[in-house]
Amino acid sequence: MRTSRQILFGPLTRNAGLIACGTPLIVLWQLCEALVPVMIGVTIDVGVETGDLGPFLLSCLAIAVIFTFLSYGYRFGATFMNRAVQLESHRIRLEVAGQAVLPADDPKLAGEWLSLATADADKVSLLVRQFGFTVASVVTVGATAVYLARTDVTLALVILFGVPITVGITQLVSPVVARRTEREQAAIARVAGLGGDLVAGLRPIKGIGAEDAASGRYRASSRAARASSIVTARSWGYMTGLTTVVSGLFLAVVAWLAGSKAMEGDLTLGELVAIVGLTQFLAEPIALLGALTAQFAASTASARRLHTALASPVLILDGPDRLPAGVPRELRLRRATTSSLTEVDLTCGPGQLVAVVCDRPASADSLIGLLDGSVRPDGGAVTIAGVDLRSLAAADRRATLLVVPHEASPPEGTIRTAIDPDGTLDPATLDEVLTASAGHDVVAAHPDGLDHAVRSGGSSLSGGQRQRLTLARSLAVAPPVLVLRDPTTAIDAVTEQQIATGLQSRLGRDTATLVVTTSPTLLAAADHVVWIREGRVVRVAPHHVLQEDPRYREEVLR
Amino acid sequence: MRAHDPQRELLPIASGRDTARLLVRRFRRRPAVAALAITAFLLTGAAGIVAPRALGAIVDRVQAGGDSGDLTVPVLAIVVAAAVGAVAAAAAVAALAQATIPVLADLREDVLDRSLHLDSGQLEKAGTGDVMARVGDDVRTVTDSLDEAVPLLLTSLTAIVFTAGGLFALDWRLGLAGALAVPGYVTALRWYLPRSGPVYRAERVAQGERAEALMSTLEHAPTIRAFAREAPALGEIDRTSVNARELALRTFWVLMRYGARMNRAEAIGVVIVLTAGFVLVREDVVTVGAATAAALYFHRLFNPIGGVLFVFDDVQSAGASLTRLAGVALLPEHDDRAEALGAPARLELRGVGHEWEPGTPVLHGVDLVVEPGERVAVVGASGAGKSTVAAIAAGLASPTSGRTFLSGRAVDELGSATVRRHVAVVSQEVHVFTGSLRENLSLAAPQADDEALLAALEVVGARRWVTSLPEGLDTRVGSFGHALTSAQAQQLALARVVLLDPPYVVLDEATAEAGSSGARDLEVAASQIVRGRTALVVAHRLTQAQSADRVVVMDHGRIVEQGTHDELVATGGRYATLWHAWSGT
Ligand SMILES: Nc1ncnc2c1ncn2[C@@H]1O[C@H](COP(=O)(O)OP(=O)(O)OP(=O)(O)O)[C@@H](O)[C@H]1O
Ligand SMILES: [Mg+2]
Repeated sequence: MRTSRQILFGPLTRNAGLIACGTPLIVLWQLCEALVPVMIGVTIDVGVETGDLGPFLLSCLAIAVIFTFLSYGYRFGATFMNRAVQLESHRIRLEVAGQAVLPADDPKLAGEWLSLATADADKVSLLVRQFGFTVASVVTVGATAVYLARTDVTLALVILFGVPITVGITQLVSPVVARRTEREQAAIARVAGLGGDLVAGLRPIKGIGAEDAASGRYRASSRAARASSIVTARSWGYMTGLTTVVSGLFLAVVAWLAGSKAMEGDLTLGELVAIVGLTQFLAEPIALLGALTAQFAASTASARRLHTALASPVLILDGPDRLPAGVPRELRLRRATTSSLTEVDLTCGPGQLVAVVCDRPASADSLIGLLDGSVRPDGGAVTIAGVDLRSLAAADRRATLLVVPHEASPPEGTIRTAIDPDGTLDPATLDEVLTASAGHDVVAAHPDGLDHAVRSGGSSLSGGQRQRLTLARSLAVAPPVLVLRDPTTAIDAVTEQQIATGLQSRLGRDTATLVVTTSPTLLAAADHVVWIREGRVVRVAPHHVLQEDPRYREEVLR
Repeated sequence: MRAHDPQRELLPIASGRDTARLLVRRFRRRPAVAALAITAFLLTGAAGIVAPRALGAIVDRVQAGGDSGDLTVPVLAIVVAAAVGAVAAAAAVAALAQATIPVLADLREDVLDRSLHLDSGQLEKAGTGDVMARVGDDVRTVTDSLDEAVPLLLTSLTAIVFTAGGLFALDWRLGLAGALAVPGYVTALRWYLPRSGPVYRAERVAQGERAEALMSTLEHAPTIRAFAREAPALGEIDRTSVNARELALRTFWVLMRYGARMNRAEAIGVVIVLTAGFVLVREDVVTVGAATAAALYFHRLFNPIGGVLFVFDDVQSAGASLTRLAGVALLPEHDDRAEALGAPARLELRGVGHEWEPGTPVLHGVDLVVEPGERVAVVGASGAGKSTVAAIAAGLASPTSGRTFLSGRAVDELGSATVRRHVAVVSQEVHVFTGSLRENLSLAAPQADDEALLAALEVVGARRWVTSLPEGLDTRVGSFGHALTSAQAQQLALARVVLLDPPYVVLDEATAEAGSSGARDLEVAASQIVRGRTALVVAHRLTQAQSADRVVVMDHGRIVEQGTHDELVATGGRYATLWHAWSGT
């Protein structure tokens, strides 16, 4: 697992090429900036003062050349750096998104991930740009000192050591800036998380007219973030203030030293002017270095937040075992035990439709969890073709087992892409799948038919239409083992009957279908029903046989 | 990689003028801090000018052959200016934050508030990402721009005034020479403004699409995982993020070309000033010293002038975001006053027709009356239009034809607050809000105390499991925290209705989401809720219809049968078919 330091410096190592091109250009720009006043002095000396047109024109030409270098240096240097910044922020964004779709032990709200993938990703990648400017500033300070060393070694040393000390002092506040920035970013992520959650719950909110209450809740959270932002800004203010005063004092010391030396005759007037000019110019890199270190602190804070998110444990559903060829893909629970299931045995072979009735929702949740990998058995095992799911290779798991969550909903696209996102189904299969899921009605209900636009989460469809499209999608995948959880809760009895018939009609095939349900219609269609009561299997038999037991009737009858 | 890219109808974007007006209004609310910030930045700018002057004085004194005692005053001036500048800078940054951050936080809150009050269809059409990008990316862009632009503008303007003043004070002809650089700067600006606006706006829209791609993946992560669609979902994020990135690179390139044009103006300006010096010195009109000073003054103008011109970049960038924030924040405020509907709670739909998408009618001339205290069940095939009727009866959607009446008053003439106060809906979509159980419940009644909350839970049969949780009402639920079963989640939704205590209730499949055993508990809860209220109950679970006073059967957007359960079963029509399929008889 990467450390937050690696997250922070990754952008630099990964973009070495762009940085190697950009940094020298930025340095060139800064040096040229420093050269402009020097060149103005030269022009005055050789042209204006002498009144010679030739040297004057020549030095004007030199100014034009310096400006050309300066301009192109910045333009391309900054563009290289910006390119690296944008590439990195995009890369981090995708990494965050990749992490966010993994099943996590400690899930975050969508809005919080969004904030990590945008605000924090941007802050960390800015380090690349900071790097370029830092190098340029340091080089300029060094060059200035070297230039001055020709005139006066003491002053050169003062500058050489003074600048780091000055910048060092401004560092006193940067931990405060970092801490506060981190808190601010966290508060902003919370606001985003809450906002996303409220917008996602819009329909229930509207149902009870709770828009104002919801908006009030967002307001409260936004106010907390706002207070945090103001506190952070204040620490940036301290930083700016400290930089100003320290670089001012540094300037005063140099001015005093140089002034005294000049008065004692150790420096000529011209040298004094040069020194004063350069020291003044140094105020710029010093302030820049101060600000850069604070920005570095902010980047560090974001890197820490990203690290926490990217390092949060995820359920890795992968193992060394491959499914043996030629062995039927039979799903089997052997004495599977969890907090709400006790020694459950269950078998569902290819071509079978097996239903499971649980008296308690917790047992059904647990069973689904065992199959989708989010719950580990305390005892016993779940196997497909004899291979334990826990040690099954991820690729085989994906190719073999589809556990459809109850809350699954169609993605944005069309009815067709909701069923067949890759466009690989032939028309006959599509028709078959639609028949089995009673989906022809859904297509017929819309004038555009299969090309009817579906909004994200299927919000432009009726509840039952959403469920039928999800079912159609599951059947279209046609996995060797298909697990459905209450697939018809939003569907009327007549349509449900069509679906039961549809599921039955597909039985001749190789799919092993397990349905967790209490709907008598689906139960009646199953080959047999596994009846679980208080976490234990009571009996396995066809629905009509079980119906003779009054307790069973009590559980499944409407 | 997506076969179909639907035309998203983004939320409104305000005009520049409306945005400016909104901002002026908002900033006027905090005149004191705003004034403090401006003064402090001006002071910072002024303090920044002391050092160059003091250094000049040192040179003068050395030239005049003074002793080291002469250095005291200018050196002290530098120290004092540094101290004053430091305090002013710290105060200015703090005051600016105090002035701007609350305004932006207010904007973000208003954007979310207006979005929540929008018609849910409109919001769903725009996508969650559109709202999230506005309250996230856009607010961030504006904050960053203001942090940069305000200090830059104020300190630059101070420096320009003092330095340019100094230039003219030297000699008016040298001053005029400096002024000849102005057209160069103006040209740069005129090149930049028309080019940057559109790219910045496009970049913001692209960021919105990126947020939408991220949000729709993150919100539906379990489904995506189950169907192993991670790769295409991440591909969509990749596509939108690359798109936003390319636009960001483009805006930066435009900015760099603008910078190059500014450099050109600077170079031309310097050469003009030097040439003027050259000529004027040759003509003996000015001294070499004055010519030198003029060139150096002009050089010192580079940064502040550049600063002012770069402020236009911030204005363009922030402006693109601000119009998006203002577009939503400026939507009309909802009326908050709920009036009492005196008359008995009678619900009436008269000739109601509805089209969600223009040209696709899903309801045709629906007439339906629910008498005060009556419980009417609506049943029918999936997609028949039951939820649409429920939404219209509850005033959540306005029918495209026909009218709805509550207690004899037309719904379209009542304020939405009044309608919402009287009609509660439990919708087919279950959502557990992330937070504590208490927060989930108190959405319906922010004022309610724990006793009231527990009493409401009692009515829906949820008190026992809630109080048996170790943290009771403080238990955290939702995306993370204690996982609730669907039945428990719906119990919370029903408890919210109890807390709201409305005369009308509309239950749209409120009991469906749990298996039979769970649903039976919910059915008990539901009948508790509808007791004594005028109720419209949409249900596939026909036990709900059986116990209703009247059953309405819908098919293809029309009411096709009406009567009591027994009558309809006896008639042997559509309902009878449904009933037999349901009860397995
Ligand atoms: N928000 C919406 N935007 C666009 N079309 C919609 C929207 N809601 C429903 N529809 C369409 O209107 C028709 C009727 O849907 P409605 O939700 O009223 O059906 P329903 O009777 O409640 O079905 P179900 O039993 O499946 O919930 C459907 O064809 C559906 O696609
Ligand atoms: Mg419905």
